[in-house]
Amino acid sequence: MLAVAFSAWALLSLVVLLGRARYDRQRRDPRSHELGVAEARRLIRRAGGRPRTDWRRWRRVSALTRLTQAHHPAAPRLVRRAVTDTDPSIAAAAIRVLGNLGDDWAIELLLAAMREGHTPRSRIAAQLERLAPRPGALLLPLLRDPDPAVRFWGATLLAPYPDLGQVSLLDLTRDTDPNVRAASVETLGGRGGQGVAEAALALLGDPAWFVRVHAARSAGHVLGASGAPALARLLSDTRWWVRTAAKDALRGIGPQAVAALLPVLTSADAFARNGAAEVLQDIGFVDALAFERPDSPLLERIYAAGGERLREAAELRARGRKLSEEARAA
Amino acid sequence: MTGDVLALIVAACLGYLLLSNLVSLAFVLVGAIENSVRRRESGSQDYATLASSRFTIPVSVIVAAWEEEAVIERTTRSLLAFNYPEHEVIVVNDGSSDGTLERLRESFQLEPYEIFVRRVFETEDVRAVYRSPSHPNLVVVDKENGGKADSWNAGLNVARYRYVCGVDADTVFERDALLKVMRLVVQDPARIIGVTSSITTARDPGEVMAAPPGRRQVDGGPMMAFQHLDFLRAFFNNRLAWSRHGFMLCSPGGFQVWRRDVLEEVGGYSTSFTCEDIELTFRVHERFLREGRDYRIHSLPDNVGITEGPDSVRKLVSQRERWQRVIDETVWHYRRMWFNPRYRTVGLIGAPFYLLSETLSPIVELLALVSIPLSLALGVFEPAAFALMLGAVAFVNAALTACAILFDDLQSRMYRRRDLARLLLLAPLDLVLYRPIICWARLKGSWRYLRGDKAWHKFERNARAPA
Repeated sequence: MLAVAFSAWALLSLVVLLGRARYDRQRRDPRSHELGVAEARRLIRRAGGRPRTDWRRWRRVSALTRLTQAHHPAAPRLVRRAVTDTDPSIAAAAIRVLGNLGDDWAIELLLAAMREGHTPRSRIAAQLERLAPRPGALLLPLLRDPDPAVRFWGATLLAPYPDLGQVSLLDLTRDTDPNVRAASVETLGGRGGQGVAEAALALLGDPAWFVRVHAARSAGHVLGASGAPALARLLSDTRWWVRTAAKDALRGIGPQAVAALLPVLTSADAFARNGAAEVLQDIGFVDALAFERPDSPLLERIYAAGGERLREAAELRARGRKLSEEARAA
Repeated sequence: MTGDVLALIVAACLGYLLLSNLVSLAFVLVGAIENSVRRRESGSQDYATLASSRFTIPVSVIVAAWEEEAVIERTTRSLLAFNYPEHEVIVVNDGSSDGTLERLRESFQLEPYEIFVRRVFETEDVRAVYRSPSHPNLVVVDKENGGKADSWNAGLNVARYRYVCGVDADTVFERDALLKVMRLVVQDPARIIGVTSSITTARDPGEVMAAPPGRRQVDGGPMMAFQHLDFLRAFFNNRLAWSRHGFMLCSPGGFQVWRRDVLEEVGGYSTSFTCEDIELTFRVHERFLREGRDYRIHSLPDNVGITEGPDSVRKLVSQRERWQRVIDETVWHYRRMWFNPRYRTVGLIGAPFYLLSETLSPIVELLALVSIPLSLALGVFEPAAFALMLGAVAFVNAALTACAILFDDLQSRMYRRRDLARLLLLAPLDLVLYRPIICWARLKGSWRYLRGDKAWHKFERNARAPA
């Protein structure tokens, strides 16, 4: 027993140390990254196989990755096969490899995979966004797909292309699927243009709460100060995340949102009062008042809406600012 | 009569030893497969895209800090430096009486701000919330002392994102730590509700992490090296196998990612236990299996950080007796899962394994120790047989440890060759130099558990050179 245990320990120790020495030597040798003929043949065999066990499956993926990294001529053919594999882990790995290839046919394969949906669509979308050449107009057919998940991703992926699909996106803000409405209003919010403001305002009252979240973000971007009153109303939304999105949008508008926020300070809804005071604090309005007009009744109204901790924090910041200005003057 | 008792004790100890080594060997074999699969899967990942894509899921990182003046700045900086497209760092100061908050204030130019949050979890009162003009994704919550679970719950109330990552304040992280674990989540966010990954230990993690991977040294003397081996065994010889077969029962407090809606559903971190991490993992498994839901909790072999380990026997005992207490509390609390097929592999393997290898082991180890003076008193002690047995157990243990070192090195290529050699040489000594300390700590922990002690007994931070 002792002899067996000792031998096992000694053998494993040797494996660790020799294995590491081999790794260190290979890392120093630039030729070790080159793909030899025999190794390439072995990798092609592995990459084209139909493994049954988990371990062999990932060996296939490794072979595929290695061949692609070495720009082996057999890689595109093998990747094409792997993308349509019924095993989601193989297909997902092939999709990651496609992003590295970046050819036109890679875009087509990725779009086809997006329609089929066997692999996580967010991963396909990530690869489509990093491709060169960029897919651009090839994304437009996704907006007309019968599957709402595909329309959602079509709308989302159009964000970096402000000149493409404006009319279709506006149509999608009235889609039957709330996810599609959310994605289209989010994308439109980043670009503006005719009809966008109206669409964003309309979706602020959408029955699906997450559509209101995306609409709030878009309204902040597209409408600016003119959207502030509508956004301020969302501070009393029934959903926490909508109120948070409205606060973010109002912060983004900045001092121009003040006029819309002041009436909310006396709202019957405590969440709305708190939210309005918080935004006024975050955009620097409270600090300006606390420093320049600490006795202002308006400041008292904000403190009343925001609570004692908001007052203490504001007074501390004002004191700090005063001290640093005095130090600078001295 | 005494001779019969001795024979019974020896038989029980040998039986236990055989069973636990067979189970360990089975876990090592499964762990080897899992390690290889994860290594290949990680090698095929496109980390560059994951790190820059707007479709990568954002994460809220929550760090609970109590009396962490010495390490909090370093830890917070390592969290802010994560290579990740969108994350926020929420540091919760749990009513520290030292200079934890002052250190944070000075280092990150914190200013007090009021924020209104959903109070999903009831916590001790929040005194103030701070933001940093230089680090917009940093929020510091200053609250009354309520323990680590209470602090993490306070952090959860503030967290904005769908996934949360709970970390310890005494751990320094790799820049890619979040990326490494979230790579798995983005593949299947509907099913993967929790992930953790390998961490190691050092006397001064910041000093070790300052060296690039491949040139790092195993910090400190033999005491730290033995703890390092202990961590490797836990992550590579146990948790990989648990993860592969769906009974990963311990997401350690040092680094754990959870889907937030799951935490909200199960009621967040519990303040009723000495420690919260292992209990939460048990609770999530219990709930999801009882309701027959499809889910995964993974442990990955990628090294994501180094945590500070105690550098003296006294501190080590204090830490490990606490760990033992929480294991005893949790295993007993979830006793309905033991051998219960309703809880699948968790009930049939995971929970019984905890019972066998963690809860009962101090008793068996004590019995083994008692058998030595007893056999001496009865005049049946055979020094040669005892030495052979001790050697065999030490080298079986060393061979299993060498497997853990091998898996870790294949995965991370982190440490220098000479440090690997040192670890391998120390492995056979673990049984006689390190295990007795752990055995004592476990006995102490079990005794305190039986007495109902739930105090934290935090070990005092190691002395280090000023930054």
